[in-house]
Amino acid sequence: MIQSIKIYGDQAILINFEQQIDTTINAAVVALQKAIEHANIDGVRYMIPAYCSLTIGYNPTVIEYGILQEVIKQIGATLFESETNNAQGTFQKSPNKKSSRQLKIPVCYEAPYALDLEALSKEKGLTKEKIIALHTSQTYKVYLLGFLPGFVFMGKIVPELECNRKVTPRLRVPASSVGIAGFQTGIYPTVSPGGWQILGQTPLKIFDPHKENPFLFQAGDEVSFYAITNEEFLKIEQEEKQ
Amino acid sequence: MFQTIRLHFLKAGLQTLIQDQGRVGYQSYGVPVSGVMDKKSAALANELVGNPTDTPVLEITLLGPKIQIQGDCQIAITGADLSPKINKEAIPLYTTITVKDGDTLSFGAIKNGCRAYIAVRGKWQLSKWLNSYSALPYSGKEATPKSVIEKGQELIIEVASPIAKKSIPKAEQPVYKNSERIRVLPGPEFEEFSSYTIAYFFSRGYQLTNDSNRMGYRLDANLIDFKPKREVISSGIIPGTIQITSSGQPVILMADAQTVGGYYRIANVISADMDKLAQLKPGDEVWFSLIRLAEILD
Repeated sequence: MIQSIKIYGDQAILINFEQQIDTTINAAVVALQKAIEHANIDGVRYMIPAYCSLTIGYNPTVIEYGILQEVIKQIGATLFESETNNAQGTFQKSPNKKSSRQLKIPVCYEAPYALDLEALSKEKGLTKEKIIALHTSQTYKVYLLGFLPGFVFMGKIVPELECNRKVTPRLRVPASSVGIAGFQTGIYPTVSPGGWQILGQTPLKIFDPHKENPFLFQAGDEVSFYAITNEEFLKIEQEEKQ
Repeated sequence: MFQTIRLHFLKAGLQTLIQDQGRVGYQSYGVPVSGVMDKKSAALANELVGNPTDTPVLEITLLGPKIQIQGDCQIAITGADLSPKINKEAIPLYTTITVKDGDTLSFGAIKNGCRAYIAVRGKWQLSKWLNSYSALPYSGKEATPKSVIEKGQELIIEVASPIAKKSIPKAEQPVYKNSERIRVLPGPEFEEFSSYTIAYFFSRGYQLTNDSNRMGYRLDANLIDFKPKREVISSGIIPGTIQITSSGQPVILMADAQTVGGYYRIANVISADMDKLAQLKPGDEVWFSLIRLAEILD
């Protein structure tokens, strides 16, 4: 599973998995992150899980690179080898399956939220209803959070929906906008410039700095969307504010 | 009874920020580390006024603010020499300075370096967000209000009883040059660059372009013989990473950099040289030297 463990500056380590955007590989990244968290290694300061890599920051005055590398190799061996005996060295079972959270997210795919739905419908030759049906038909995996604090990258959308980013990015994409780009779907945590094709908006605040845990999502979550009307949107938005 | 003083900003300066040692541990949510760019200077400023190291400081860049101080207190300024003055009279860096109620702190010409730090003795009346006072880039207005100083703003500090004046001897104060040699380790994609590109990368100096900031320093050249062979799948980014954009331009990622990125990473600046890098300004020059991890550990 682990392809390489390398130095990444003098205070971090980079663990590369097979370099592919793939749900199973990403599940292995999250599983390793959880296992390292669980091992509570002195000197480990932070981790950044991504599609097929895990960055680990450490304090070199507490733990040396060589020792940390060995510890990670051992954790990886225990975690992945027990899973791979049954197959040809591939990662069969997702070890965090039990622990991964399932989130159902309401999305209003109507005006004024569905900024690019109309244009996308024309471009793809698919009705708006078909696009909504396709977007809500899948359960997505959260690959990572990044780009902005709380921005969620999820995949994969069905091939019929795959699309490029907008040629001219918007200067202000509203917070909680749900969009697609490439084979991914994502949610904007805050108002920001952005180039994703916006299908709708969720009334949920996916980033709320005033909450003890400001982020609704984390890497490894399983997410599905369901369509709501304008009225339902406003109702849920009101409830969120209370 | 606690005594409080106020810093009243008559001018904000070019970029005046509340910063501390940064926000480590939330990168997995896409939250940048942030924190002071020059850690050593900030720590010294707090030390000179007897504050704990995790007390916030003001980080000022090139053009300083103008601050009216309401109440007696002690301050210290370290890092870049931006010609600090109290009521138009020059004051020294790296020294505990006693300020009287009504005094005005201002700055003038840039003599040396890029970023200066102001520490004020006492407890700053600010709240932490995710364990840090540092300004959150991109979406900080709600999460870290007041952390990006604006004209007319006030900061309140609960002053502690004064300490005996301290100074750092002139000989021990850093002098920043306009050209610095920075030590780097091979980055994650180092092996994928041609030896010609690698040789070129280390053979010259680069100027920091005008759009260099706390997110990243853009350098003024494109590497030759560089054609990305594959798409790099977005992966964790740490401050000090030198990435090469598709056009071949090197960018050194700094404290406010995004937490993931998808460019080739040629090298990483060693942590001991990050403070030196923090004091370079647009137009200054940077050269890179490749070292091995073993050389740092010795």
